[in-house]
Order: sequence, then C-alpha cells, then structure tokens
Amino acid sequence: MRSLISLSRANLKSFVRDRAALFWTLAFPILFVILFGTIFSGGGTPSYDLGWVDQDGTPAAAELRSAFAKSGVITLHDGSLDDEKTAMRNGKVDGIVVVPAGLGAAAAALSGGGQPSPVSLTLYTDPTRTSTAQALGAIANAVAYAANLQLSGKPSVIGVATQSLQTNQLTDVSYFVPSILAMALMQLGIFASIPLVQQREKLILKRLNATPLPRWTLVGSNIVVRLVIAATQTVLIVGIGVKVLGVQVAGSWLAIAGLVAIGALTFVSIGYVIASFARTEEAANGMTSVVQFPLMFLSGIFFPLEIMPDWLRSIATFMPLTYLGDALRQVMVGGAPFVPLTVDLAVLGGWLVVCLGISARFFRWQ
Amino acid sequence: MTAPRDPHAPVIVVRDVRKSFGEVKAVDGVSFEVQSGEIFGLLGPNGAGKTTTMEMLEGLTGPDSGDLLVLGLDVTRHAVAIKERIGVQLQTAALYPQLHVSEVIDLFGSFYERRLPTSRLLDDLDLREKQAAQTKNLSGGQRQRLSVALALVNDPELVFLDEPTTGLDPAARRGLWDLILRLKADGRSVLMTTHYLEEAEAICDRVAIMDHGRILDIGTADELIGRRFKEKAIQFDTIATIGDASLAQLAHVTRVAHEDGATLLYTADVPATVGALLDVTTASGVEPDNLLVRRATLEDVFLELTGRALRD
Repeated sequence: MRSLISLSRANLKSFVRDRAALFWTLAFPILFVILFGTIFSGGGTPSYDLGWVDQDGTPAAAELRSAFAKSGVITLHDGSLDDEKTAMRNGKVDGIVVVPAGLGAAAAALSGGGQPSPVSLTLYTDPTRTSTAQALGAIANAVAYAANLQLSGKPSVIGVATQSLQTNQLTDVSYFVPSILAMALMQLGIFASIPLVQQREKLILKRLNATPLPRWTLVGSNIVVRLVIAATQTVLIVGIGVKVLGVQVAGSWLAIAGLVAIGALTFVSIGYVIASFARTEEAANGMTSVVQFPLMFLSGIFFPLEIMPDWLRSIATFMPLTYLGDALRQVMVGGAPFVPLTVDLAVLGGWLVVCLGISARFFRWQ
Repeated sequence: MTAPRDPHAPVIVVRDVRKSFGEVKAVDGVSFEVQSGEIFGLLGPNGAGKTTTMEMLEGLTGPDSGDLLVLGLDVTRHAVAIKERIGVQLQTAALYPQLHVSEVIDLFGSFYERRLPTSRLLDDLDLREKQAAQTKNLSGGQRQRLSVALALVNDPELVFLDEPTTGLDPAARRGLWDLILRLKADGRSVLMTTHYLEEAEAICDRVAIMDHGRILDIGTADELIGRRFKEKAIQFDTIATIGDASLAQLAHVTRVAHEDGATLLYTADVPATVGALLDVTTASGVEPDNLLVRRATLEDVFLELTGRALRD
C-alpha cells in the first residue's frame, strides 16, 4: 500500500511537471468548452420559433394563439403535429405547442357556470438546449396562467405538460459539455500509453522490476493517477459548464462520477493496448494520433448521429466514444438516448474487457 | 525470516548457467562463486554475456538451464526475497526524468522493508547540493551516483553494478572507484561488470574474464597474470654507452626490447638481474634513470586468452 501511494505520487508529479501532458489533458478541453460556449451562447435578444398545432379549432384556441404571439419573442408556425415535429428536429422551430381538442368545450362550460374537465397543453422542447427549453416553458406557463385568470379566476383549467424531443440542433452548450468531457476522458486514457512506453524505453520499468515491488502495484498506480486526473478534468469542465455557461446538470454527481470512472478505465485499457504494440515513444505518439482523431470526429460527440449520413453512422456505432458521449449526455443533461444507458455501459464494459485481455497477452515490461 | 546464513558462505553461486536469445548463446555454460565481502569483476568486451549473467542473478531474466544462488537462495524460486536484500544498478541509469533527486530516493526507499535515510544517502553519494534538481538535469557522474544511491537504498548485503563507470570522465571514474571500495569497507559484497582493464585491476579482488558467453579464467589479477607471465620487465632510460649485446649477457635476462626511449630487460629473477645491471652501470660510471620493474597486465592476459586486445 505504501509503495502504491508513493508510486502514484511520483507518477502524478511527473505528469504535473510535464507541460505538454498538462496542456493536452487539462487546458485543451477547457479551451474547447470556452470556445464552444462563446460561439453558441452568443448575445442579442432571444427569439423563438414555435410550432402551433391546433387540434381544437375553436375561438378559444385562437385566443390562446394570440396570447402566445403577444409575448413578443415568439413567432408561431401552424401545422400538424407530425409536420411540426419534423420541423423541430431539423431546427426550423425551437418547440411545439399542441392545443388538444376540448379547449373550446371547457371554455364554454366555464362561461355556462359548469365544472369543466381540465385541459393540458403539450409543450415539446429539447432539454439539451437548456436555455431555450427553460424560456419556452416559462412563456407557456405564463400564458396558461393568464388564460386561466381571464377565463374564470378559478383553479387552473388549462395546464402545461412538457415533453422532450431530441433535436439536431448544435446550438446549445448542454450538448457540448458532455461531449467535451467524453473527449477529454478519451484523450486521458489513450495518452496513458505515452508515459508507459517512455518508462519502458528509459528502462524505468526494468529497474522497478529489480525491486520487490509487485507488478499489480505498478498497474494500480497508473490507474489511480489516471482516475485522479479524470476527476480533475470532470470538475474543471463541468464546473466551467455550470458556472460560466449556465449548463444545468440534471443527473446525480454519483452517477456522473461512476460513468467518468468507467469511461476513463475503458480508454486507459485502450492506452495499454497501444503501449503493448508501440516499441518507441515516437511510435506511441503516432498510434495515439491514429486512434484519437477518428474517435473524435466519427463518434457523434460533436455531430449528432441523426444528422450523419448512414455510412458514417455505421462507423460511429463501432466507436466506444459514441457510447461514452451518449451515456454522459443522458446522465448529465437528460439528453435523448441514442441507445439505452445499459447498452452504453455494456459496450464500454465490452471494450474494457477485450482491451485488458489484449494487454495482458501482449504487454511487455522490458 | 530467512535462516541465519553462514557469514563465510559464498554470496553468489553460479553453476553451468546457459541462456540463449534465439540463435545467440548469450551465456554458454558459466560457473563461478563470489565470496562474502569481496568485489568480484566480470571483465570482457561488449556482448561477452556479462550483463545477461548479472540480470539472471538479479531475477530480471530467467536462465535456460543451470543453478543460480544469491545469498543462499535459489533465484528462480525466491526472487522477491532476494530483491529485498540486494542492490541493483543497471547499465543505463533508469530515472524518472521529472522527479527531483531526493524524490527518486524516497520513492525507491518506499519499495523496501529495510531502508537507509534519504539524507544519509545524499551525503554519502555527494548529492546534497543536487537534491532538489530534476534528474534530467544531472551530469553523467551525478546520474551514476544517484543510480548507486538507489542501489543502496535498502542497505543491501550484495550490490550489483553493471558498468558503473562507462561514459564517465577520469575524475568521476576515480570518485566512483572510491565509492565502490567504501561499499566493501562497509562489509557489502559487490559483483560488477566492466570492460576497463585498469578498473578491474584497481578495485576488483577477483576477476572472471568473459568472452562469447564463456568464462575463460578466474582469479586475482596477480594470479591471472602469474599463470601466464612468469617474467617481469626491468625498465630504464636507454643508456647509449651500454649495448644490447652486453645487456643480454646479464644474469637471467631472456630478452631485450626498446620502447619509447626506454630499454626493457625481461627476466624471471628480478633481484639477480637488477644486481647485475647495477654492476655494469657502476662499472661504466653511469646510473640507470627512471629504473622500475614492470609486470604484465590484465591487458596482456586478455590478449593471450582471446587473441585480441580488449580495447576496440
């Protein structure tokens, strides 16, 4: 245990004193977060396009429509629910309000002094576009509240129910913060190969082998170090996302921490595979680039899978990073799943087991 | 705990050990023993099998066949127990480049049950001034000294030094020789490899001469030389007035040679020849300048054993 702690401290110190490693694992993802944040949370008065689906068709519905229009920041687009959903997925509208049949009847019942059954408007928003979803929710609730007052002053007849609809919009940092965290964990993991190959090349691993230090301590300390760095990355990236960019973290910190650990371990195991086959530091550098860039750009972490051409999407379904990004988005910001969370975990676990097997077979200490 | 060891038992026993890398027989039937408290040298050119022999004893490489006992324990079965009690310096000083000198010593110390204080090692190895320097910024001599410090961190009974002075300047080399002699004075045994003949002669109690994976001869430098070269040479500045012919007549002289302005008289009986020489010079009214007796060196032994010089 004492040797595990001192070896981990030594490896961490080496990492912190290596400026290049520090830049790529900490500064680079933070620059990414800030860059995307600046691009996508740009200033100006917000305005929203809202799909309007009127399934009621009575004057009461028309009155409600004009109440929405009067809010000043909303442009309404009439259509059927299917049309508007397509429009929302493609970014033509930011949300949809569905007025169900029965609003007119309820209004008539009220003015007749009866007791109408409540009517619920449905608001479709994209929860990964945090600020837009919040704004539309607030507007819809305010309009419904005013309508209720105007109709009767009685307890709400008109309510608002919210539904999630994942869109292809790239215009919100909520989509990117989990993506950047996934990217950072991927880099952290595969870059674990570099110090390993360095230490083998400089005969440090051989020298350690001449001490009574057990091998598991060596592997263990590498994992401890990578998890400590992963935790630092997570706190920095999510912290900036929340404090500076206003991202709302939906999931529990425990779930996020667990997922970060699994993601880091999976990519560290890929790093070990690289270190198993790279004989020199130069080779390891080359191999990490070869692995890193396809993962970064073909994994749907920056481009939603839905807008990818089919051939690209089939490549992305093989990439472990696709699943880490998907899982982090689901847990952190309640993003719509590409696959269920259990499938994400199973795929990451599968990569982990396979890579550990390959490393156990091919990794050389000297 | 380990049973108390006979203090006079050999610290290393190697019996008919063989090791091949593919087609290459790196070590081809080597046997020797190192006694407690001695500095034992493996002398030979690069590729002779010295390092492979040493790494098998350190538990870094397994032998193909043969017995290896270190401190009375079988290396293949008790590697961890042995590693706890030996000190190892590899040919290349393997150091964490970004760590400070004292941090590296602390780190290696944490791997052992028994350890010497870092501050004592810093003082003993003259690294006090450099304790806060990153190891990548050390000079060659400083790196070697740190590497020896790491080999001593567990206060070992037996120290392995693989070419400890290669690449050092003469001053740093002498400093390291003093250090190795101090290890012996502290009661430690040392197995070292070298391809410097003068180093083997200067500090090793006994030497095994290796070439092509085999040991050609073992003994003290005197024994190795004495087994082959019975004669010594009497050397003095050449005296023009005394001809070689009369020198060759002197008692026990077998041969007369010249080297850089000096005359060499080879003889099996130094006192008798010196006496005869002085009689002749006194009779001629001259005195032999820079008179000295030279014996053959390990260099001559190596040449005799392998048919080539060790220096390349």
